[in-house]
Order: sequence, then C-alpha cells, then structure tokens
Amino acid sequence: MARMKFLCDTERCIECNGCVTACKNENETPWGVNRRRVVTVNDGVPGEKSVSVACMHCSDAPCMAVCPTDCFYKTEEGVVLHNKDACIGCGYCFFACPFGAPQFPNGPAAFGVRGKMDKCTFCAGGPEENGSKAEFEKYGRNRLAEGKLPLCAEMCSTKALLAGDAPVVSDIYRERVARRGKAGEAWGWNTAYGKPEQAQERTQERAREQNREGAK
Amino acid sequence: MTTSTPRFRLGRLLVAGCLLLAGSLPLAAADNPTPAQQQAERQQTQPGNNAPVWREVRSGDSFFTTNRGPEAGVLIQSEGDTWRHLRNGPVTFYGGILLMLVAAAILVFYKIKGPLTLHDAPTGRLIQRFPRYERVVHWLTAGSFVILAVTGLTMLFGKHVMIPVIGHSLFGYLMVLGKNVHNFVGPLFAASLLAMIVIWARDNVWQNIDALWIRKAGGLITGEHVPSGRFNFGEKTWFWIGVTILGLTVSISGFFMNFPNFDQTRNDMQIANIVHSVSAIVMLLLAFGHIYMGTIGAHGAFDSMKTGYVDETWAREHHEQWYNDVKAGKSGHPQG
Repeated sequence: MARMKFLCDTERCIECNGCVTACKNENETPWGVNRRRVVTVNDGVPGEKSVSVACMHCSDAPCMAVCPTDCFYKTEEGVVLHNKDACIGCGYCFFACPFGAPQFPNGPAAFGVRGKMDKCTFCAGGPEENGSKAEFEKYGRNRLAEGKLPLCAEMCSTKALLAGDAPVVSDIYRERVARRGKAGEAWGWNTAYGKPEQAQERTQERAREQNREGAK
Repeated sequence: MTTSTPRFRLGRLLVAGCLLLAGSLPLAAADNPTPAQQQAERQQTQPGNNAPVWREVRSGDSFFTTNRGPEAGVLIQSEGDTWRHLRNGPVTFYGGILLMLVAAAILVFYKIKGPLTLHDAPTGRLIQRFPRYERVVHWLTAGSFVILAVTGLTMLFGKHVMIPVIGHSLFGYLMVLGKNVHNFVGPLFAASLLAMIVIWARDNVWQNIDALWIRKAGGLITGEHVPSGRFNFGEKTWFWIGVTILGLTVSISGFFMNFPNFDQTRNDMQIANIVHSVSAIVMLLLAFGHIYMGTIGAHGAFDSMKTGYVDETWAREHHEQWYNDVKAGKSGHPQG
C-alpha cells in the first residue's frame, strides 16, 4: 500500500502559482479558500526561495488530534481526510496545524461562524461515494480513485512539486540532489513525517524502497 | 587661543574618541547582515546552501505570498504542537479528574452531613432578600453559565465520553448546534456577569463578622448557624474569585476566540484557549459548591432566589446581621 506525500523542491519552484490555480479550478473551492499557497522567502533578493505548501497529510496529524468531533480520518494511503458533516468550524485544526492548511469559507468571522473547514484532500475526495456529486460539491475531485495524482503536482511546470508514494517521491528527489550535489532539504518532512512515533512507518517505506531498487 | 593646556587636550581627545566610536557604528551593523543579505551572500560563496532561508522559515516570520488568508505568509508555526499537547494532555486529563473528584466529594459530603436545616420552626413571616432585578440578573448569568458549561465540557470531553456512546454522526450534528450555542450565549453571559458584579460588589465587601465565619468554617462541619451580613464569607469568596476573577478571565479569553476577526494570530488564540479551559474548569469546580448550597445543600436557599423571599427564621439563622439591619429599618447592605 502506498504512502502518499508531497514534496516541494525549492531549487525548482519559480512561484508561478500554477499549483494554486490548478487546485482551485480542479476542486472548485469557494471564494477565499485556497487549499494551496506559494510563499516566497526574501522576495526580490538574489537567492530568494519559494515553497508551495498545502496540507502535508502528516503521519501524526495535529488537526486529527485536537478535533472536538473527531471528524478526521486517515485513508490506507496515509491521506488525511475529514467529514464535513461533523465539522463544527471551531478552528482548532487551524490552531494546531504547523502548515496553516485548514481554510474556512467565511474566514475569521465574528462569533466564530467560520463555516465548514476545507483543506487539501490530496485530490482524494471525502467520505461520500467515490466520484459522486455530493463528494465533489463538498471536497472537490477524487482523482486518486481514478488512478490519478493531485493536479497541483501534475500541472507543476518545473516539476518542483512532487506528489505520490513516498519511496517514489524520495527517489526522484534523491536523484536530483545527487546530480546537483546540494540543496537537499525536503522542506516540512521532518515536521510532517519525522516524529519518533513514525519510525516503524519509515522503516516500512525504506524496505519498499529497497524492493524497488532490487526490481530495477 | 593657541596655548593648549592638558585639560583642553583631554577634551579634544574625548571628542575624537566619540567621533571614532560613532564612525565605527555602521561597521558594527555590517557585521550583522539581514537574513536576506546572508542568503544572497551564501548563494555567491556556497551556491545551493540555503541555511539562512531555512533559519528564517523556522523563526515563524511572515513572508511574501499572494494568498490573503490569515497568517498565510507564515510557512510553519510550531506553537500549535505545544498547544495540542497542553490541551489534549494535562488540561483534559487533570481537568476531567478534578471535575469528577469534586462532584464525588460533594455527593459524599451530602450523604454524610445531609442538608443544612433550620433549627427553629419557620415563623411564616416572609422578608424580601432579592428584589426582582437581582433575580433576573442571577438567573440570566446562571442559565447562560449552565448552557456554556454543558456545551464547553462537550467540546473538551465529548470526544472521549459521548462518541463511544452515541457515535460520530449524531455527536457531530449535536456539536454543530452546541458550538454555535456556546459562541452566541457567551456574550450574553459576559454582559449579565458584568451586571452581576455591579449590583453585588457593595454587598460583598469585607465585614468584621466575616472573621467569625472563617474561624468556624461557616458552620459547615458543626452544623451551627454562624451570623453574617447579607452575604456570608463563603458567598463572598465565590463572588470575588469565582464570579469576578474567573468569570472575567473566561469572558475575556472567550472573546479572543469568539471574535477572530481582529487579526489575532493563531498563537493568541492558542493561549486564549488554554486560559479559557483552565479558568472555566476551576470556575465550574467552585460552581459545583455554589449550586450544591443553592439547591439541596441548604433548605430555603433555592426559594430565596426563586421567589425573592425568605422566612424570618431562615434570615435570622443564616444572615443574622442582615436580618437585624432589615428589621431595624436599614437597607441591609454593609455600612461603610
């Protein structure tokens, strides 16, 4: 079983915001909701670096841990999804998330009337039937069920944004780092996947990676 | 004047020294370049080494983005993890234990000691204890407090206590309602709380007779009736610590979370959340005591707040000083 992860190669990201647009268009998210955003550090200064960031689908997801209605669930592929019917819009997931992923259609509204939380689903929809109209209206496209990867990464013009099974993504990135001989920081991975509790998960990934190497 | 005395030379030396120091200041600034300068320089000396950028990202500062959401420019915030572990850890664990322990202790006390009853027979003559406006303010505060307590407790403990019983779906639907009720009743509680502080502050000032109440522990153990003013020291403690301090703390921290539209950061709301839950739990623990005394703990207490009137025997046995004042035609409020 795959373990889906995102990786943004900051040596390649050119801040075109194509991923942001692709996501918004594919999932038809409401006005003001941007599941993905691009942040540029030292904008305009030589050596500036851009990072495209959305939900990282953490191994030990903080949103999941603090949700008062326990509306989050994790798919077999490691994608963190949530049930909007049980979401109360309290904003706790937004307080807890290191990446600022949870979005609210009404924004920071008075009396906390934020509306149902919306976030990146790794283009994997929600609890409704795969590909159903109800699923699309609440969570956007379920591309994973169609055998496709998230559109943000698929549309990335420089292939800075990688999405897919962790060993495959790491392989591509490792090859790039080896070729350029530097800049090997997989940003956010330590926060999202690096906790000691996930040691076992990482061992399994490494084993699958070695299998892939052997098969080549 | 061309002669140069030693004193004059010293002055010139000082001036020169100052100029030298002033001149060296820009040099000192150049030793601490901004992170952006560091990164630009690093790209020249060690291309591909982005350590300055990652240091900046780690600091939690905000950077450029076209996204207009709150704190969208912040790439990573680590305070959320601290908040998560405080809330899910000690606040939930010790809060839950304390609430159960205190509730159990009060029940045990009731089983052993029973309620406070009148020693003498009631006279049948009634005396007004709470005018209508005081009762309205009390029940507004009390009613909204109970609603907030129930919905608030569900927000913190429902996941552990209710979901195993009623399931995710029903709990989710109930909580959509519960959260909105909590957020809209909150400001009503805050307003009635302020009114309550205003109308009862003068009755809760220290009176010398309170020392006697403290010495006898209110007669809670011995069962004897200790004289007191309009409010006894136990009620005063609840008023100042429970109602005033904790009530205001809960209200103010609640406003931080209930109105996120004032550009407060996630960190502000995390702190507000911890302050809110801790003070609300402590307030609830004290409220258990107050609700006990006001209902089953002391005969006649509930009727006094329901009807506004108490029997003269009740007044004399529970609040003798106040009873004497009212009988003597005074206001009953503590006299300065």
